[in-house]
Amino acid sequence: MGVENVIELRGVSKALKAFTINNMDLQIKQGFVTGFIGANGAGKSTTMKLIMNLLQPDSGEVSVFGLDYASHEKEIKNRIGFVYDSNVFYESLNLKDIGRIVAPAYKNWDQKQFKAYVDQFELPLNKPIKKFSKGMQMKASIAIALSHDAELIIMDEPTAGLDPTSRRELLDIFQEVMVDGKRTILFSTHITSDLERIADFIVLIDKGEILFDKPVYELQEQYAVVKGSTELLDSDTEPHFIKIERSPNGFHALTKDAAKVKEVFGKHVVIEEASLEEIMFYMKGVQNQYD
Amino acid sequence: MTNLIRRDLIIQKFQLYLFIPCILFFIFAGSHMSAFFIFVFAGFFIPINAYSYDEKAETNILLNSLPYTRTQIIASRYIGAIFYMAVSIIITTALFYVFNRPFTWADIAIGAGITLTLFSFSFPLFYLLKPGNIGTAVTIGFILFVVLSGPAVIFFEEYLTPVVDFLVSVSSSAIYLSSAGIVTALYAASWIISQIIYQRKTF
Amino acid sequence: MQIIISNSSKEPIYEQILKQIQTAILSGELAEGDALPSIRQLAKDLKISVITTKRAYEELEKAGFIYSIVGKGSFIAEQNLDVIREKKLRVIEEQLSAVISNSKEIGLPYEELQELLKLLYEE
Repeated sequence: MGVENVIELRGVSKALKAFTINNMDLQIKQGFVTGFIGANGAGKSTTMKLIMNLLQPDSGEVSVFGLDYASHEKEIKNRIGFVYDSNVFYESLNLKDIGRIVAPAYKNWDQKQFKAYVDQFELPLNKPIKKFSKGMQMKASIAIALSHDAELIIMDEPTAGLDPTSRRELLDIFQEVMVDGKRTILFSTHITSDLERIADFIVLIDKGEILFDKPVYELQEQYAVVKGSTELLDSDTEPHFIKIERSPNGFHALTKDAAKVKEVFGKHVVIEEASLEEIMFYMKGVQNQYD
Repeated sequence: MTNLIRRDLIIQKFQLYLFIPCILFFIFAGSHMSAFFIFVFAGFFIPINAYSYDEKAETNILLNSLPYTRTQIIASRYIGAIFYMAVSIIITTALFYVFNRPFTWADIAIGAGITLTLFSFSFPLFYLLKPGNIGTAVTIGFILFVVLSGPAVIFFEEYLTPVVDFLVSVSSSAIYLSSAGIVTALYAASWIISQIIYQRKTF
Repeated sequence: MQIIISNSSKEPIYEQILKQIQTAILSGELAEGDALPSIRQLAKDLKISVITTKRAYEELEKAGFIYSIVGKGSFIAEQNLDVIREKKLRVIEEQLSAVISNSKEIGLPYEELQELLKLLYEE
């Protein structure tokens, strides 16, 4: 099955004060939800800004829908819905006026759809945004992002600041917009349980470097947390693990080849499915495991 | 592009209610001021106020995430400034007329010329500053203005007003045309500089 | 047909879907030519990722349980029912053989085994 890439980063480098992105390659597949994970400051927001052309790479190429920003900026952005982790809308304005500013910018703005989301999220139209709670601001951004028939929806921490009920409600909406298969979602989060439910692909970034980009089931099947006695560890067995934590009571380690570990250690160790959170934790500081 | 220009009105709708009272205040309380000075204030008011909203990094992130190019964002600022200045001056002229305050066409022309010159200097300066520092710059500017307003008024009274009076009296089309040419060139240069600065800006 | 997914089960989610659809086919609940929900619709309804559902459908297709027509969706395939019944029967035979040999080991008479089976079957 031919999978097309909606976003492609080829050899992108960008030096910033805080850190550097060096020769990054990244492909985001059309029709799927890609979850972008990594610790704070790992480079998630910077990568997203590069994708949005808010930052321009020092070298390398960024293309979206197969188009480059130099000559197709408007067309690309017409087809993108964006949600940022902080409020970007004029704080003193109410949602109605923000709608008035944003709507004419898009070719396919759907006022009815916008109204429907506003109603569904129970957002007040006449209250200034600055009086919205963080969750309401997020929902307002999402309502705008989903009201112009965007094919690519880019969200930076969209579920941060939302209570569990609202988070579930949003995940349902994201799944709903994915049903027709025309859309692609890229979203960063550190609430990894949200991704475990809806993400198709997981991209892990650390220190400006992509550590892996895999379908979720591969992570669930191949990665595992292994626990056992430290006596089992030696130069022959250690290479089966990505990272090992030792304590007087034994070791905890992450492997990306659960089947092999099972074969080597058999019943001498406990093997558990690794959650995204655990994978993130163990992979921090580990250099490129891309394969 | 017109959307971007229209945006300026939506974001400052509350300040717009202040616009006419302010002008009226100047017409009545500022009877000692030259008419052109009021035109400068009127022309400057809306565009600079709109600009102050673009100070925030968040606003720039919003504008640059919407389907606009950076070239358009700058162009809307420069075209919008002329447009709002013109509308403001028309409204002010109407108010002058209604309240019988004397003025000449030269006042309007000179007011517009000074306003555009002010825009030419302030826009690139603001784009050059880091977001967040513009507020500081405006505050410092305001303090300087308060401190210097005494001398400034004297300066205006003593030097600028005679210059204006001179221009009015000479009324030579050559002088007007060359002044207009200089202001236009200045505005165009400012536009290009802002464009270059904004193109390289990161948010 | 309804599919119930357990997130806490050790069994991968795609396998749970696979098995439940298989069961529905074998029990006759799903007949030849019946349409399955679209991959994306099912993902949404089950609140799981698209790729997981996709994987379940791909495995079902590989095993010949279903076929897909681009733009139309996935349908229950025809030929397999007998073959699969046959296969399942063979598995049942094997399992029963194990039961019988176990029974013989402890000297459980046929009548009692039958009784036990009947009891469990009707449970």
